[in-house]
Amino acid sequence: MNQSRIIRGLVLALAAAPAFAQTTTAPPPGRLLASNCFQCHGTNGRGGVETLAGKSASEIVKELKEMQGKTPPKMMDMHARGFTDAELQLIGNYFAAQR
Amino acid sequence: MVKRRDFIKMAGAAGLGLSAAGWSMLAAADGSSTSTTAVGVPTNTGIKGRVVVIGGGMAGATVAKYLRIWGGTGVDVTLIERDSAYASNIMSNLVLNGSRTMSSLQYSYSALASRYGVKVVKGDVLTIDPVGRAVTLASGARLAYDRLVVAPGVDFDVLPGLESAEAQAKVPHAWKAGPQTTALRNMITAMPSGGVFVMSIPGKPYRCPPGPYERACVVADWLKRNRPGSKVIVLDANPGITAEVHSFTDAFNVVHAGVIEYQPNVTINSVDATTMTVNTSIGNIRGNVLNLIPPHRAGKVIAANGLADSGGKWTSVDVLSYEARVAPGIHVIGDASATTQPKAGHIANQEAKVCADAILRLFSGRALDPSPHTNSACYSPITADTASWLTANFAYDPVTKTMQPVAPSSGEAAARSSENFKEMNKWFTALMGDSFA
Repeated sequence: MNQSRIIRGLVLALAAAPAFAQTTTAPPPGRLLASNCFQCHGTNGRGGVETLAGKSASEIVKELKEMQGKTPPKMMDMHARGFTDAELQLIGNYFAAQR
Repeated sequence: MVKRRDFIKMAGAAGLGLSAAGWSMLAAADGSSTSTTAVGVPTNTGIKGRVVVIGGGMAGATVAKYLRIWGGTGVDVTLIERDSAYASNIMSNLVLNGSRTMSSLQYSYSALASRYGVKVVKGDVLTIDPVGRAVTLASGARLAYDRLVVAPGVDFDVLPGLESAEAQAKVPHAWKAGPQTTALRNMITAMPSGGVFVMSIPGKPYRCPPGPYERACVVADWLKRNRPGSKVIVLDANPGITAEVHSFTDAFNVVHAGVIEYQPNVTINSVDATTMTVNTSIGNIRGNVLNLIPPHRAGKVIAANGLADSGGKWTSVDVLSYEARVAPGIHVIGDASATTQPKAGHIANQEAKVCADAILRLFSGRALDPSPHTNSACYSPITADTASWLTANFAYDPVTKTMQPVAPSSGEAAARSSENFKEMNKWFTALMGDSFA
C-alpha cells in the first residue's frame, strides 16, 4: 500500500518535473530590478536618456543615494527613493557587468 | 549629472561601439527616432518552452521581446496582433493640438521579428483552449502553447444613444489612438470661436489616469489661442481629479482659467449624436464637439474566454507572475489585468518584464522572484510647451500580495515646466525603443 503510493508520488513528480534547472542559465541577480531602468535608460541600460551599461557600480550607487535626498525631487530622484540600499547595490552591480 | 557632450567624449574614449542608430537616439531630442542598437540578441540559455502572446501593445510587445532576449533561442515566442503596426496612445493627445500626427506614432513589429526572432502573426483570436493549451484564430489557424500571455488592452462600454457606428463616429472617444484621434483633431479645428468642447471621464479604473485631464489642458490651450472665447467642459464621473491633483488643479484654475469648466461626480445618462447633446446628472449639455470616454473593460478576448473574474471586466492575477487566478498557465498583463497598479503603457512594459522573468523561471524549474519592483512614469503636457509628470516605484507587499507604491517614491512634479516637456520627448523615445526596438 505504502510502496504503491510512493511509486505513484514519484511518477507524478517526474511527470510534473520541468527542464532540469542545472542545465539552464540562471537569471542574473539584479537583472529584473535593473530592468525598471530600461524604459528610460534603454534595454540593458544601453542608450535611452543616458547609458548606464558598463558604468561603475559604486558610482551608480553613490549617484542614486544622492538623488534620494534631492528636494524638490525630479522624476529620477523619486524613482531612486523606491529602492532599498541592497537593491541599489544589486542594480549598480548589474549595470557594471553590462558591456 | 553627465552632460551629453561630456558623455559622448567619455563614450568615445571608452570605445563604446554605439552604432549610428545608437548615436542618433542620443542626439534626437524631438522624439522622432525609433531606431536603436540591437541589444540582447538571443543566445542559448538552455531554457525551453513555447509561449503565445495575444496582443501587440506596450505589454505584449515587451513580453515577447524579453522572453526572447532573456529566454534565448530555445524559447519559442509567437505574437498575435490584428493590426499591422501599433499606434501609440502615449503622446496621441499632442495630435489634438496639431504638434504630432498619428502617422508619426506608428510602431512596427519588424524589429521584434528580425532582431529577436519573435514570430509575428497578423490575426484575431477567437478562442483559447486552456486544457488543450492552444489558441484558435479567426482564420482557423491553431497555435499550441506551453504558457499563454494575454495582453489585449481595453475595450469600451457603449454609451446609451451611441449604439450605431454612425453615432460613434460623431462622438469619438479617441482613447484607443488611431483614426479617431485624427478625426477628433479635425473636429477641434472645425470649431468656431466661442465654441464648446465637451469631454467626459469614466469612473476608475480607466487607462492612463492623468490622460483625460491632460487632454483638457492641451485642447483648452489650443482653443484659447486659435478659437478665442471657447470653453472646455470636463464631466468627470469621479469625485475629483484622479491623478496629479496639484498640477491639474493649477492647470484648471489658473493656467486655463476661464476656458476649462470642471464638474466632478457627473453621471452620463444618454447621448444624442444628432443634436450633440449629453443628458447628465447635472442637466443637458450641448457641444460643438463631444469627446466622451466610456467606461472600460478588458479587451473582449478576456470575457469571451471566461477570464473576466474581477467584476466581470478584468482578470485577477498573482503579481509575482501575472498568472491568472482562474486559469493556471495563462498570464494577463497590462490594462486587462486587475491589480493595484495604474493602467498605463510605461508600467505595462514593466509588468511584461516581471511576467517574462517569471515564465522563464517556471520553464526552468526555478522559484519566482519574491520581491519584484514595477514603476510608473508619465509626463503630461499642460500647454503646447510645458508639462508636468507623475511617478511611483512599486514594491511587492507579501502580506497583501499586492504591488504597493513605496511612499517617498510616489508623487508629481512640483511645477509644470518646459524642461519637463523636453524630458517628456526623450522619455517617450526611450520607452518605445525599450518596447519595440
